[in-house]
Amino acid sequence: MENNILRIEHLTMQFGGVVAVNDLSMEINRGEIVALIGPNGAGKTTAFNCVTGVYEPTNGQILFCGRQIARSSPTGKMRKMYAGNDASAFVGDSVRLSPDHVTKLGIARTFQNIRLFSGMTVFDNVLTAKHLRRKSNFLVSTLHLNYAEEKRMREETWELLKAVHLLDVADEMATSLPYGKQRLLEIARALATKPTLLLLDEPAAGMNPQETEELSAFIRQIKDEFQLSIFIIEHHMNLVMDISDRIYVIDFGRLIASGVPAEIQNNPAVIEAYLGGEDQ
Amino acid sequence: MKQFVSDRKSRTPAILSFAVIALFYVLVFIAEQHLPSTSMLFTVLKKGATYALVAVSMNLLNGFTGIFSLGQAGFMLIGAYTYAIFTIPLDQRAAVYQYFQGGAVQFSVPVPVALIFAGLAAAFFAFLIGLPVLRLKSDYLAIATLGFAEIIRAIFQWNQLGPITNGSNMLRMFPNFNDFNIRNDAGEVTVYLSTTIPFVISGVCIALIVLLIHSGYGRAFKAIRDDEIAAEAMGINLAHHKQLAFSISSFFAGVGGAMLAMYQTTVQAKSFTSAMTYEILLIVVIGGVGSVTGSVFSSFLFVACSEWWLRFLDEKQMIGTFEVPLLRNGFRLVVFSVIIMIVVLFFRRGIMGTKELPDLFRRKTKEGIK
Repeated sequence: MENNILRIEHLTMQFGGVVAVNDLSMEINRGEIVALIGPNGAGKTTAFNCVTGVYEPTNGQILFCGRQIARSSPTGKMRKMYAGNDASAFVGDSVRLSPDHVTKLGIARTFQNIRLFSGMTVFDNVLTAKHLRRKSNFLVSTLHLNYAEEKRMREETWELLKAVHLLDVADEMATSLPYGKQRLLEIARALATKPTLLLLDEPAAGMNPQETEELSAFIRQIKDEFQLSIFIIEHHMNLVMDISDRIYVIDFGRLIASGVPAEIQNNPAVIEAYLGGEDQ
Repeated sequence: MKQFVSDRKSRTPAILSFAVIALFYVLVFIAEQHLPSTSMLFTVLKKGATYALVAVSMNLLNGFTGIFSLGQAGFMLIGAYTYAIFTIPLDQRAAVYQYFQGGAVQFSVPVPVALIFAGLAAAFFAFLIGLPVLRLKSDYLAIATLGFAEIIRAIFQWNQLGPITNGSNMLRMFPNFNDFNIRNDAGEVTVYLSTTIPFVISGVCIALIVLLIHSGYGRAFKAIRDDEIAAEAMGINLAHHKQLAFSISSFFAGVGGAMLAMYQTTVQAKSFTSAMTYEILLIVVIGGVGSVTGSVFSSFLFVACSEWWLRFLDEKQMIGTFEVPLLRNGFRLVVFSVIIMIVVLFFRRGIMGTKELPDLFRRKTKEGIK
């Protein structure tokens, strides 16, 4: 069995004339925490959206556990406008899975701007995310004949809420939680889909240093507890350097560096593009 | 873990709600045996029960799945026609289909089967129309479904379909609510059921919708309502679930249409106008988008106001020798519109908001403890 769980090959995403991601190749091994960093607008979330099936890549392919989840080459109008890398490699059969299909295969995600189910309680938010593994059809479900399944889902939800320390607010409305807890809830909800790969889109955004520190311990904890591989986009350098096994850096959609945290910290290209450009 | 799940919520509010509903049914039954059957009360109750079902089915889409559809009248029409076509007694068909040589359908089925046919026919059309239309969002979806309802109305009046739909002529002679009354050999009514049975049909259907809403699929619908993108990212297949909600909602709208046919005793396509959809939309909004209880409650309120309580405004009223000004034919609608505006202004989220019947008891018991 292949060691890498996610493999992105020559991914290019072009919107109109803008090449948001250009020739991005990377891989995530089983059990790794890999970070994707870069200045604002570098194309990080776009890359995420390609992996999760929200966007159809303009060119390139993505493999999850050795299985193609996306593969395409420029078609139609884009063939003339295309400004990315060499497109000949992926001509032919294109593969596109919808986001729900990708999630069923085992990739779960959180969102940069929190997207909880606002009309539901904390408990129901997590329980709803278990729906995709449901075996019973709507008739059986409506007549509540799937008692065992429903009970199992509820118990799993309680355990999950316990694991993320949200048990005491289980009956509160999701939107009434403080910001930090909403972020935790998003992660819990993603975990409820039973993923093998978890994609975190800026999980520490808006958190104070102490919360950020707790978050990095938390990410390590869930990685071990749920045997996950984690792909993370983040701006907090402390968090990234602390938890990542490997880091990829992109700027203007192009990969400019990759390696372990120590290498990245000392990489002149990164310092110029990222740290130098933004922080000083 | 287990006791956590069962102990969390007290069952008392649910039991109380059941008791209230059961009591209401008993009252309706008793009233029917003792009050004259011509009383306006029963007209309101029958039509109210019918509208309650359609309003709840619309709320399932608009309030719980977040699909803004305005096709309800169309699906009611399909249900009403299906019911009528399959239940007109064989010996009456020649009279009903007098311009079409007795019609093409030469068999009839029992009323309960016809009700299910009515639902299935509406659901089938919903499935077909849903394939292209459910890709649209909000306003565009509303316009498309509204258009669909108008097209259906026109098609059912098309002369070429006369052998089935009787063209633009009305369908009649099929079993109506009064046929539920139990009669003795002399033809005298022994047990009145003409109001109780519609309540039972409507009650069973609404109970099924409530069960659906509280099932895993209901939660998935609410997830789509709250955030489509997040729902899809959590593995909920949007197309599949929207299609499901749309078909189920239309199924019950179809059954509601069949009930309306029974209430009216005749069916004619031209009466299923978009104004009917708006009435139901109004009921849903006044009751509270996302509250089944609200839809049921406001259905009766709406029907009672429009058919009964405000009738006096349409006639000349004398207080002593003083003739009250303004009262004349049509004034009722003015007052009615003003009342609706007031309700919408003061109850922004409808009478019930998103609360249900058990929530009312829950609040009361909490206050009692404090």
